[in-house]
Amino acid sequence: MKLHRIGLIAASMLAAFAAHAENIKIGAVQGLSGPPAIVDFGESYLQGNQLALKEYNATSPKHKIEFIVYNDEANPQRAVSLVQRLISNDKVSAVIGTVNSGNVAAFAPMLQQAKIPLMAGPAIATDITAKFIDQNPSYIFRCSMVEKFQVDSMLDWGVKKFKKIALLHGTGGYGMFAAGEIQKGMKARGMELVAVESAAPNVTDMTPQVLNLKNSGAELVLMFHDSLELLYRAMPKANYKPVVAGNWGLSSQMVLNIVGQEALEGTVMGQALDLGDAKAAAFNAKMSKEFGDKYRWPVVAALGYDGMRILLQALDRAGGDPAKIQKALETTTGFKAVSGTPEKPFGPKDHECLDAENVFLGVWKGGRVVKLR
Amino acid sequence: MRHLRYLVAAVAIAVFPLVSPNPYFINLAQDAAIVAIGAIGLNILLGLSGQLSLGQAGFLALGAYGSGVLSTNHGWPLWATLPVSLLLSAVAGGVIGLVALRTRTHYLAMVTLAFGYIVEILSQRWVGITGGSMGLIGVPQLNFGDFGNGATYFFWAVAAALLLVQMMNDYVMRSRFGRSLHAIKESESFALTVGIDAARWRSLVFVVSAVTAGLSGFFFAHQAGYVSSDAFGLDRSIALLIAVVIGGLGSAYGPLLGAVILVMLNQLTAGLYEVSFYIFGGILLVVMLFFPAGAVGAVQRLFRRRSSAVPSSADVPAKSAQPTSATVPAAASASPSDAPILELHEVTKSYSGVVAVSAVSLKVMPGTVHAVIGPNGAGKSTLINVISGLYQPDSGTIRFLGRDITRLKPHRRANLGLTRTFQNLQLIGTLTVAENVMLGLQRGRSFVPGWLHWLVSDSEERADRAEATRLLRYFNIERLADSLPGDLPYGHRKLCELARALAQNPTMLFLDEPIAGLNEGEALDIMAKIRGLKALGVTVLLVEHNMSFVMELSDTVTVLDYGRKIGEGAPAVVKRDPVVIAAYLGTEDA
Amino acid sequence: MKSADLVQLLISGIAMGSIYTLMGKGLLITFLTTRALNFGQGDFLMIASFLSMTLLLAGVPVIVAVLIVVAVLVVLGVGLERLAIRPLASMTAGSASSLAWILTTMGFGMLLQNTAQLVWGKSRFYSPPLFSAKQKEVVEMMGARFYLEELIVAVLAMVVVAVLYWFLFRARWGKEVQAVSFDKATASLLGIDVRRVVATSYAIMAVLAAVSGILAGPLTTVQAHMGLLFILKGFAVVCIGGFVNPVGILIAGLGFGIVEAVSNYINSAFGDLYPFLIALLFLIARPSGLFGEMKTDVR
Repeated sequence: MKLHRIGLIAASMLAAFAAHAENIKIGAVQGLSGPPAIVDFGESYLQGNQLALKEYNATSPKHKIEFIVYNDEANPQRAVSLVQRLISNDKVSAVIGTVNSGNVAAFAPMLQQAKIPLMAGPAIATDITAKFIDQNPSYIFRCSMVEKFQVDSMLDWGVKKFKKIALLHGTGGYGMFAAGEIQKGMKARGMELVAVESAAPNVTDMTPQVLNLKNSGAELVLMFHDSLELLYRAMPKANYKPVVAGNWGLSSQMVLNIVGQEALEGTVMGQALDLGDAKAAAFNAKMSKEFGDKYRWPVVAALGYDGMRILLQALDRAGGDPAKIQKALETTTGFKAVSGTPEKPFGPKDHECLDAENVFLGVWKGGRVVKLR
Repeated sequence: MRHLRYLVAAVAIAVFPLVSPNPYFINLAQDAAIVAIGAIGLNILLGLSGQLSLGQAGFLALGAYGSGVLSTNHGWPLWATLPVSLLLSAVAGGVIGLVALRTRTHYLAMVTLAFGYIVEILSQRWVGITGGSMGLIGVPQLNFGDFGNGATYFFWAVAAALLLVQMMNDYVMRSRFGRSLHAIKESESFALTVGIDAARWRSLVFVVSAVTAGLSGFFFAHQAGYVSSDAFGLDRSIALLIAVVIGGLGSAYGPLLGAVILVMLNQLTAGLYEVSFYIFGGILLVVMLFFPAGAVGAVQRLFRRRSSAVPSSADVPAKSAQPTSATVPAAASASPSDAPILELHEVTKSYSGVVAVSAVSLKVMPGTVHAVIGPNGAGKSTLINVISGLYQPDSGTIRFLGRDITRLKPHRRANLGLTRTFQNLQLIGTLTVAENVMLGLQRGRSFVPGWLHWLVSDSEERADRAEATRLLRYFNIERLADSLPGDLPYGHRKLCELARALAQNPTMLFLDEPIAGLNEGEALDIMAKIRGLKALGVTVLLVEHNMSFVMELSDTVTVLDYGRKIGEGAPAVVKRDPVVIAAYLGTEDA
Repeated sequence: MKSADLVQLLISGIAMGSIYTLMGKGLLITFLTTRALNFGQGDFLMIASFLSMTLLLAGVPVIVAVLIVVAVLVVLGVGLERLAIRPLASMTAGSASSLAWILTTMGFGMLLQNTAQLVWGKSRFYSPPLFSAKQKEVVEMMGARFYLEELIVAVLAMVVVAVLYWFLFRARWGKEVQAVSFDKATASLLGIDVRRVVATSYAIMAVLAAVSGILAGPLTTVQAHMGLLFILKGFAVVCIGGFVNPVGILIAGLGFGIVEAVSNYINSAFGDLYPFLIALLFLIARPSGLFGEMKTDVR
């Protein structure tokens, strides 16, 4: 009889274990074709997702994860349609993505309505999660850089060190948004930009803009245009060498290859990944090994990596039920991030991986990006 | 039952959301309907009137922002913003349509490209109004206040709009509007001579295509509650073009089919993003190379074999019945008077340094057959072109029925009763023989009343068709009614052109080389027909080389040489004139 | 506006304008022989830029790299004609035949774009300079500074114009092209090998695209979708210049480049709008371009 009882207990434990092992679907919508600026970010974030998933699978996990990836081509109509497909047709338990903040704004309400968690990224618009945070519960989370934090830290530093600050921005969605944030920030700090120049995303030459910047006498140029190298290429022609500060894109190795160490020296950018940190360095090495020279944006990939790992951690605890996943996400603790994400990234009133204090400034020194002191 | 297909479609639309497995398919159907509406307009523009627009996204944007901005930023209700959308696109379409009158083919493509690009840039940069690339957020959705069933209501709304647009499209294609557009596309100058105001039609068609695009944009804006300027780039215009061509350019249901294919293709390539351009590029190449008539064409090839009436060349037109007023269409007869029906005074026309017609004056008396002869290059065809209005004379006047028509546009002259045939046969290759003849019957209701009438009965079309058949019977080619001109031998095509000319109810008929290329039997038949017309009071001016024909048939002959009139009078008199003989008749048997 | 700035703008405008001119000429030459343009010509330029970049970065000497790139593109050009243009001639005169070449050449261009994406990736790339050892070699003239590259691009474009002009209007081959352009059937009856003339014209288009790609790469960013704006501007330039005379295209191209540079200087927010707006207005005023002829449609 004892044997029988042991057998019964064993069987029920086995059954309970087996019942918990589910086939869970995660959907990803990313910008994977179209303008390089979009694709670079989309692909990098996805690479981070994929590495995280690979490592998760290697630990013989409880659940089998099916990762469905769709390309939204940075097109909002497409994005909405694809999220619809993920919700109704593929029946995913969670969605992660995309690059265009506008696309996220378009489909976030759908996911909130459908009660399916969204891990947004690498979209940068300020209020992606703020719009939904008062809903109880909010299903919208984000693991990405928030533009406002980057702009704030840059402006805080800039107005202290320089008297004449100018802005060069792209006229695509990101550029216009960043320009708006910067102008608001400058006004809040009581300073005026001495020049505001813009250029189309696919511009071929920035000589006119650089001439105008030089004529304005700007000592610091805030650079928020996708084609970073065009600015540097036009500057020697105008015999003009201001300090350049821009977004996280300026930290890429590719920029170093294109612009050259000398021209890049002293350029400042927003950062959430300190490669001096051991964990980050190890992550960097892993990514290079996995993706070779297709790996381009460490900070974006790091956020994708962390975002996916948080999601997988929550899935581990909650299974495939979206409502449970949402709770698990909010109560995530003990998370060892590679980016600046804290150990407890979320709370009932905070669905952002990164908060203002996790964003810092980096600077190019001697061919490397280090933290700006 | 008339229009059964639309009732079936309406039922299908009503039922679809209820049987759809999940909202994703409803969303897809919405997308397809939105694309189809725009595609139908582009199909009419490009397929029927032959004008290429690569900037339809611009009109889409106008429709989307017109409604989006007013409803989001100013709180207008959607039933009020819709007319604004349509009006905005219509005005823009009208402007481009007017420009299209001056710029043709490649230049028009460039103009529309530039237009689309400019609209895209403006919507991207005017962030204050349009929200730019980041987008206009919170656009009211067309869901009649019920978010849960909103997708279904939206689908019903957009599909109903599509059904209406499709019905109007079908009417256009099956009526004189479609025929006229085909004519304008293939030969604008010919179209003018049957009374079609080509300029007005061309611009109107642009307006139509713009309005459908604007309507499409309206629905687009209110579908997801979000409008971004990224949606209105060149790739959007190209996608619409692809939908039209893949479906089958110029066909009635091509746009709908193409829209469905396009939407499905997009969904298919969403997961295949590494090779999506290979897929699209490959499809473009394959479709254009192997299925140029698109999906509709492929389906037609599969299911139908066109019955080509191939008349044997041994066919001799049987002795035709004597024309009576019952078998011949009532021709507007000029009131017999002494005043000339047509009077040219010192008309001169030269181009590129060559004086084709030099100070020619002539009078044509009503109810007569008046021939114009002369050696090659004498200016005969130029003269006819000047009289019909395709050329403007450098100097001189032309009077018709006492009225000065020198500056009158060709289509207005046609409407006055001046009808002509062409030396190089202007038959529209994409229309059947009967349809070509019906081109002459340029009368009927204007669009909206015509459409409403068509919904209820096809009496108008049947009447036109019957008239055309009667005319074909008069020329003994009734059995060729459904053949294409390209399949027929030259002689029969000539008869078709004559039938078309008669359909125009001519007061005065210009025949440019009416028996050139015909055999003797056919020529005799034509002669009899012309005599029959004369008996009914139609005045005929004919240009011919064949002397015996001219001499036997005409009442008056005018002789031209090197653009100048060198002789005129009754045939017998002219035949003996030494000047004429020297210039012309000397080498021919009189 | 400072005069030094003006000179600077003129030079960079002329440099980019020269590239547009080369594009326009490529479009002209194929139009003359086949009444069709290569809507994927921008993608041809893109492939040339990528290829030349890879070869130069690998240390291949400039002359050899140029020859290789030109050869590859000629193959592509002749292949395009064979695959995407010639089969269309035998199509029945249906509604789609008059614009089929737009879609086939566009489709061909898409294949090139996808290939570039797979081979080189989707990012932006930088091409090393051809004529100056280091990128930072700046020349000074009249108070304005510019790269040697820009000057050479402008000079080269004008050389190509002269050569093409001579070809079209003086050389025998040019006469053959004009004959084919006027009427294919007649030309063939006169003993002209129409197929060879057509294939050669596409080869020349490819050479022009190759040259413009090699020159454009170092001036601008190289990426898989860079072709779109080049074909748009090239098309605008050939429409403004007229589909007749290379000189008209030169004027139009340089003009476009200069207007582009100056409007970006004056107002960079809407700077890229004005060249197209002006092009649009020009075409409305003069519908067949600077040197084109208006033919009345009369039978």
